[in-house]
Amino acid sequence: MINILLAHFFDFFKAIIDYPDIYIYPIIVGIIIGVLAPLIGSVIVIRRLSFIADTLSHFSLAGVCFGVLLAHVLTDTILADVISPIALGIIFSVIGTLLIEKLRGFYKNYKELSMPIVMSFGAALSGIFIALSGNGASNLTSSLLFGSLLAVELKDFIIILFMSLGIVLFIAIFYKKIITLCFDETFAKVSGINVKLLQLSITIILAIFISISMQIVGVLLISSLMIVPVAASILIGKSFKNTCLIAVVFSEVSVFLGIYLSFTLSVPTGSLIVIFNVIILIGIMIYKNCKKLLQKRKSTKVDMEYTLSIEKSDEEEIQEKIQNKNI
Amino acid sequence: MRIRVNDLTFSYDQKVILNHLSFSINSGDFLTITGKNGSGKSTLIKCLLKLQKVQHGMIFLDDVDINEIKKHHHIGYVPQKAEFNYEFPITVKEILMASYPQRAYDQFYKSIISSLNLNKFYHENINNLSGGQLQRIFIARALLTKPRLLILDEPTVGIDTENMHNLYQILKKLKEEKITIILITHDQDFAKDLYDYILHLDEYTNYTFTKMEEKHHD
Repeated sequence: MINILLAHFFDFFKAIIDYPDIYIYPIIVGIIIGVLAPLIGSVIVIRRLSFIADTLSHFSLAGVCFGVLLAHVLTDTILADVISPIALGIIFSVIGTLLIEKLRGFYKNYKELSMPIVMSFGAALSGIFIALSGNGASNLTSSLLFGSLLAVELKDFIIILFMSLGIVLFIAIFYKKIITLCFDETFAKVSGINVKLLQLSITIILAIFISISMQIVGVLLISSLMIVPVAASILIGKSFKNTCLIAVVFSEVSVFLGIYLSFTLSVPTGSLIVIFNVIILIGIMIYKNCKKLLQKRKSTKVDMEYTLSIEKSDEEEIQEKIQNKNI
Repeated sequence: MRIRVNDLTFSYDQKVILNHLSFSINSGDFLTITGKNGSGKSTLIKCLLKLQKVQHGMIFLDDVDINEIKKHHHIGYVPQKAEFNYEFPITVKEILMASYPQRAYDQFYKSIISSLNLNKFYHENINNLSGGQLQRIFIARALLTKPRLLILDEPTVGIDTENMHNLYQILKKLKEEKITIILITHDQDFAKDLYDYILHLDEYTNYTFTKMEEKHHD
């Protein structure tokens, strides 16, 4: 068994070395997304916006499909070459963000209503755009739904590299403000932080991240890549930094295993990454439960010993009294 | 920071909460606001903090109309029940560092930490702390912004006698430093000798604004 695994591993590395242009970009991109997704995910989880990633990815899909439709309609014109479906995906994603913000303003207590509305609107638009753009779109959309890491080319690689540099820079500059906003909005407002602007910038960054990584991990899976590692790490994290770091480690382990197995089994990488993330989450939950049970047992054992010792000392006291009486 | 509230009226939907309220205090004054729940204490604070828009009337901070102020500076706020996100792991250190504009910890930072006795649980996750300990963290956080106006909403709730004494000492020192303090409290015995003014709001939108006798200055 170990021999087979080792042989697979060896094959995998040999393939990387033999065909660097095919494998190197996807692997680096996988590593980058593996770091960024849980970092952005942490902010989303704290702000209780876990649904926003899913919503935006669906709305972004509508943008991509619209791009494909435009290219289909404008075939044989110069414009057809200029239109980039991914760029339209980003624009739609940002529009989706603004729509969510607008809709949230209409409800006081049911603010989360805005998410399913925008999400289904995006899905509905995508359906129409796909149908209108003929056969060309169906190939693209099927790869967009589940993504394909191995399809990453030099062009995507450069875009993703710049995007990640931008996101890391943003986090580094506004780190304190982001933490303050995430944990206590009222305090952030009082201490002079432009809450609306910062909030909007975070969501726009989220929108850009989603539409760019969508082609790699897929519309349906991008949100779980951001949320699941964080869901696991908050169960065991001790501080904010520690929690984010653990989430990144979980995410990277899943990314690596996902890429490796998708190479061996020819299964979509995004799906495998998410499945490994979920397995880690379940593992952490079991570990947490076992720890709780052990602690409970330990404390009841201590309690029992304590009661026994009290009972014993009581008994001794009574016997002493009896003896004294007898004397 | 000087505060002047001029004919402030505020209502939620149809219900009037504050009715033609006017008062003013000077830099370094200590104002205590008392009143039952629903008498408009928190609403007044929210107006001062710009968390609520002033509907009628005017508020001036250092003679500047509050509507003209784009960003609040130098206002420290200790909320009654912090709208804090408790579930996500974060340590006391991380909360305080995030609200401190300077980079490394300096003498001022350390003095705040030790004056509020935060050293013992400085590296702890806030999920493990008691209500009183949390309250002290929020006070420290407000003080770290080097406020010229400090607003405390029921700071003594859930704090033991020793920490109450510490808080009293801090407020006394801040008053000596000419920092304006607004304290909302049910416990009118707390820090009584520091009060310069008492604003009492009742549930029928009446109010009394009383200047304290200057006996403690003698």
